[in-house]
Amino acid sequence: MNAKKNTLIIENLSYSYQNGDRTQKILDNINAKFESGKIYAIVGESGSGKTTFLSLVSALDKLQDGDVKYNTESLRNITGQEYRLKYVNIVFQSYNLIKYMTAAENVEVASDFDGRKVDPNKYLEKVGITEEEGKRLIGKLSGGQQQRVAIARALASNSPIIMADEPTGNLDEDTEEKIIEIFRDLAHKDNKIVIIVTHSRQVAKKADKVLTLRRGKLQ
Amino acid sequence: MFRNMLKRSWLSIKRKLGRTVILTLIFFMMANLVLAAFIIKSAVSAQMDYAKSTLGGTISIQADMGAIRENQEEEMKNGSDPSKMFKSMSRPSVNVNTANEIVTTYTDYIKDYSYEISVSANSYNLETVETKSFGGRGGSMMGGMPNMGNFFGGANADDDSSEATLDSDITIYGINAYAYIDGVDDETITIKDGTYFDEDSTDSVMVSYEFAELNSLKVGDTFKIKNIYTEKSISLTVIGIYDTSSERANANTMYMNTETAAKFFDTDEYNNGNYAVGDVKFYMINSDKADEFVEKVNAEFVELSENNLKFAVDTSEYDSLSSSIESVGGFADTILIIVIIAAIIIITLIVTINVKDRRYEIGVLMSLGASKKNVIGQIATELLIIGTLGFALASVTGTVFATSLGNDILESQATASSKQSERNFGRPGAMMGGMPGGFNGGSRNSSSKSDIPDMPDGTAPNMKDIIGGRDSKKKELDINAELLDYLLLFVTGYLVIVVALILPSVSIMRYQPKEILAGKE
Repeated sequence: MNAKKNTLIIENLSYSYQNGDRTQKILDNINAKFESGKIYAIVGESGSGKTTFLSLVSALDKLQDGDVKYNTESLRNITGQEYRLKYVNIVFQSYNLIKYMTAAENVEVASDFDGRKVDPNKYLEKVGITEEEGKRLIGKLSGGQQQRVAIARALASNSPIIMADEPTGNLDEDTEEKIIEIFRDLAHKDNKIVIIVTHSRQVAKKADKVLTLRRGKLQ
Repeated sequence: MFRNMLKRSWLSIKRKLGRTVILTLIFFMMANLVLAAFIIKSAVSAQMDYAKSTLGGTISIQADMGAIRENQEEEMKNGSDPSKMFKSMSRPSVNVNTANEIVTTYTDYIKDYSYEISVSANSYNLETVETKSFGGRGGSMMGGMPNMGNFFGGANADDDSSEATLDSDITIYGINAYAYIDGVDDETITIKDGTYFDEDSTDSVMVSYEFAELNSLKVGDTFKIKNIYTEKSISLTVIGIYDTSSERANANTMYMNTETAAKFFDTDEYNNGNYAVGDVKFYMINSDKADEFVEKVNAEFVELSENNLKFAVDTSEYDSLSSSIESVGGFADTILIIVIIAAIIIITLIVTINVKDRRYEIGVLMSLGASKKNVIGQIATELLIIGTLGFALASVTGTVFATSLGNDILESQATASSKQSERNFGRPGAMMGGMPGGFNGGSRNSSSKSDIPDMPDGTAPNMKDIIGGRDSKKKELDINAELLDYLLLFVTGYLVIVVALILPSVSIMRYQPKEILAGKE
């Protein structure tokens, strides 16, 4: 059975910083199309604008020029908060979990704002976290476990787009391998659009498509 | 959604115990002080009502000297008959029937009243104490009284102080009850032996210690004295022996109730109630209504003004006490304002620091699709839960703390109030709205008798004993938190939280998830 193809379309996306009197262009008229069921790796040198690209596409930052569309829904027509709530979930290098909550509670938070009720253990199990581990406060888990919890939260959010910013940056090779597999499953089995911003060749190798950001252009 | 927010708030409260305890303590302390301020304010209000009821003001009937002078000048201009002029110069008096009618007509305004009767008398076989001068209580009342019709009490008190002598040896001083005598309040006059008289103590007399010593009189002895003008004699029984520390006191003054003193008048006058009473005072239920009372009485009893009499309103005791109590109310207001401002500042600072500390958590929630309202709502919910806990705890301890604090602050006022109230409440003849009865055999209201403590045999009562009811009355000054105080506490507390949230909320509204999370990265 063919799953429905959802697309994330980037149109003429440009972004620049004001650095004193000088305007520094970070992203220069980027056009791209991301499809569901695929995992994308965006690579590039430090300062090439990878994180800026991720912030714009995930609506953490406001668009300057160009547009971001999920299927036909333009980011310009809805608020960033609505866009994040409906379409995007982000996995950060530093996991961004809420420290006073347990692993399970962190996963549950993903559905706090859309009115759904989720079973956190279902998602934790998918990323290899046991129910017992799910009851632990975040600080009691290892880095790899925390990243898995962050991914489980992304899964529980039911967002069609998963953006990840250096998700394996703090992890050892074995754990990195396992995390990449989870992301691949998210794309291939759960039919999500997975975009990973990374420096890691290992991650890039496992991606279905690798895009390079250089001098503000996505190639 | 709200349930999720409540859940997150509860988790934050439960897991961040240190912050929760600090905030709870702050709310708890604030609530105690706010409750104290509210209780003091309630107490002040109650005290004011209490003061109004106990120190409702005194209205006395006095000679209108201005009117008398005007009449005299008019008579002189018109070259009137000297006998008429003399009549116009004579001081006006209040007939006992008029006074009684005012009392019975205006029971809504008057809680008590007092009249005085003075009679110059001689004894048949008793010696009188040689006095240094003719000042003092009895003497001042009696000295220049050529006839009973020219009696007008306190207004002429100073006129006679310089006179050296008179034909009478003894001054009979009739007043409703012992406690009304000037000097009893400040204990210038005390009971050395026996007991006091009240409205029911017919034919009883209190004599001075010197007079009793001179004549070997003791409690229970009977003697006879006569009015020097009417020659009417009455047999009196010594009910008590008083002592006085006043140098101006006349040791030959005898005190008795008005009923007994009135018997020295002509029989016809006494029976018809056609005699003058002096120093007529009406004790008001509410000082605010003093002017209204005067207006009504003046309208109904026109003969008073025609007879050159006027009303003098004295609410000084109430005014003095109320200003004192109001200052406590002002103090409570100041406490309330300071506490509220301090609480707002402290809570604002704590929440602002807390929000800054939770910046990252806020960024995460926003990245998950939480709106800024969701975030502010969660923080507000946490504060409201912690605040409710602090306020609830304060409601338990505050009843003790705030009441104690309130009582301490009000103590001086309460003491002053008690002292003042003694004068009115302690009066054995207090009418308290009842029918005063007449001087001519009318039934006397003796309800206030219950306020008078029974004296142990052989023990001379002092002022506190006579005041009776003092302790029970003082209970009315005790202050306690009422439901409204608690309600106000919670409302104020929640308002403080809302105001304290303004600044942190502005800060949250300016948060951009990218800046927060990029900073973290």
